[in-house]
Amino acid sequence: MANGASTAPGGPGLSFPPETFAKLSPGPFLHAHLKQQDPVRANGRSPEQFRKPTINTGSLTHSNGSAVVRVGDTAIVCGVRAEILLASDIPQPPKDDVETDDLVEDLGLLVPNLELSTGCSPAHLPGNAPGTLAQSLSYRILSLLNSSNLISPSDLSIQYAEPEAEEDQPTDEFKTVTKAYWTLYIDILCIALDGNAFDAAWAAVLAALQNTSLPMAWWDPDREAIFCSPLASEAHKLQLNGLPISSTFAVFSTASPLKRREDVESWILADPDGFEEDLCRETLTVVVATERSEQNPGGIIRLEKTGGAVIDRKLMQRCVRMAKNRCSDWDSALRGC
Amino acid sequence: MQADRRRINAPPGGTAPPVFASPKNTTLKRPTRTRKPDEHRKLFLRTGVVPSASGSAYYEIPPQTPQQQGLLVPASSSLKITCSVHGPRPLPRNAAFSPNLLLTTHVKFAPFATRSRRGYVRDAGERDLGMHLDTALRGVIIGERWPKSGCEVVITVLEGEEDGWWGDAGGKDGGGGWGMMSVLAGCITVASAALVDAGIDCVDMVSGGVAALVCDGQDDGKTDRGARMVLDPSPAEHREIRAACVVGYLQSRDEVTEMWMKGDVGTQVEALLDEAVRAASLTRSVLAEALREAVELKMGAGLDDANGGLKEDKGKKKDVVMSG
Repeated sequence: MANGASTAPGGPGLSFPPETFAKLSPGPFLHAHLKQQDPVRANGRSPEQFRKPTINTGSLTHSNGSAVVRVGDTAIVCGVRAEILLASDIPQPPKDDVETDDLVEDLGLLVPNLELSTGCSPAHLPGNAPGTLAQSLSYRILSLLNSSNLISPSDLSIQYAEPEAEEDQPTDEFKTVTKAYWTLYIDILCIALDGNAFDAAWAAVLAALQNTSLPMAWWDPDREAIFCSPLASEAHKLQLNGLPISSTFAVFSTASPLKRREDVESWILADPDGFEEDLCRETLTVVVATERSEQNPGGIIRLEKTGGAVIDRKLMQRCVRMAKNRCSDWDSALRGC
Repeated sequence: MQADRRRINAPPGGTAPPVFASPKNTTLKRPTRTRKPDEHRKLFLRTGVVPSASGSAYYEIPPQTPQQQGLLVPASSSLKITCSVHGPRPLPRNAAFSPNLLLTTHVKFAPFATRSRRGYVRDAGERDLGMHLDTALRGVIIGERWPKSGCEVVITVLEGEEDGWWGDAGGKDGGGGWGMMSVLAGCITVASAALVDAGIDCVDMVSGGVAALVCDGQDDGKTDRGARMVLDPSPAEHREIRAACVVGYLQSRDEVTEMWMKGDVGTQVEALLDEAVRAASLTRSVLAEALREAVELKMGAGLDDANGGLKEDKGKKKDVVMSG
């Protein structure tokens, strides 16, 4: 016990509350926790233990879909708004009416933006343009949305059966033309940040997209505009192709230029919080498809590793296994909302 | 609109919000005020929502009227505001010496806060709200106890009040009118709760209250019941708002730190001010209750830790020996 109870009677003990040690020497503080017989982290979790998430959806009135995700002390709000992009406004329209998987990416129909400068932590105060972290997180979410083919272009297109008339002859032949597309603005706001913004932000995006309902829209040929029906019974929910789940790991290592390679100890910490993120240089993000996806059930959609060389193939396999086990947590949370 | 280099931008063609056609078999009903003229809507206030900030609070007025059946377009808005306070922190080295606490307020509407989508860059209306909030808080903070320090009050409005009913012809929208006044009243209250949560010395708790001079009457415009004074107006519920007033009020000292009055009041300036002060007293009771619960929680938690109790969702923290 650090509180001096174990010192010899009569000898003065030097003891501070744990928070003081955490502030003065965070690295050795975490190291002292991890190097015990039964490693435990400074926040009381075991190194492979994730935080339990809670998700609430549908709380914002002006959005087509919304979600609030809380993972430990990290809280993220996501709102999805749908606006209309007319096909005639597209500067370089796609070649045919054939809908390819890349149409969503080519036209830029999904616009996610993560805003960290909301005072969510002392390091992210407002008044500045988005820094490196916010920009890179926004881009990672966008690329994951595109590469996982979460939303198919047919869900987002507004079609019109154009009669193929010749010279005033009434005709029965109709050609289906896409007159406009729905553009989804996915605005992600971080209310409180305690490490691991990417996992929580991605889950918020998934939950909000699941909750999104698009009104029924049609092309009016007389007024040459798109109109929507305000009735909820005619609206349709977005169909997501599978539910990819993201898990982040950080590596805490005692490596330093002064140490020999054999003396270096490292631990993999699942779902790092703010204190641990500051101390770890190497991170790994694994995105795994859940069983709901037909193309790739239980498969890996994305692996991102930066910062160091501690994680080798064996550790990577272990992390992927942990990420797959994590799927059930998120699946039950997303299903329940 | 110019592309923002640091954010992911809209598709190059530009998008437009959806235009809704009038529903065929349903008639749109304007929501009406069912509570008494001197009754406030139910408030929800909680502190400690952002643990990494020095202090924080969350304020919500749930929507009063239920969603009109089957319509996608929401009938009325609720108000949801989050505030986090970072400070007192030391000023940067190159800053001039300041014998008082340097207060910086920042108010931002989320992009999904209003009926039409807002951008990420602060506009003039939000800066104006920040200035009003600064005036309200400056009068209540004891600044001379914190020289050479700064304090940041950051407010995010997750959902804002509207200016009028969306079904009105020429429906005003987007904030900047009467809705802003309710938002300011909420901002004052939530900032006050967050300041107390952060432990910054204040003279008293400042609470925000809003009152208005409204004109109801039938929608056909024929009958006009005349203007009456109501507190805590919801702009969608009234056909016309003639004037409104927001105050930041210190109840135990009977002082007003901030007043913002807008519109044509005529001779009833003092009466409108009194109504707003009454509204502020009502919100103060909610503020005091929320803060008392927060303090009790903190005191209780302090005792628990000394006995080695558990903090939920964090597991039992073990003491370790630090050596070397």
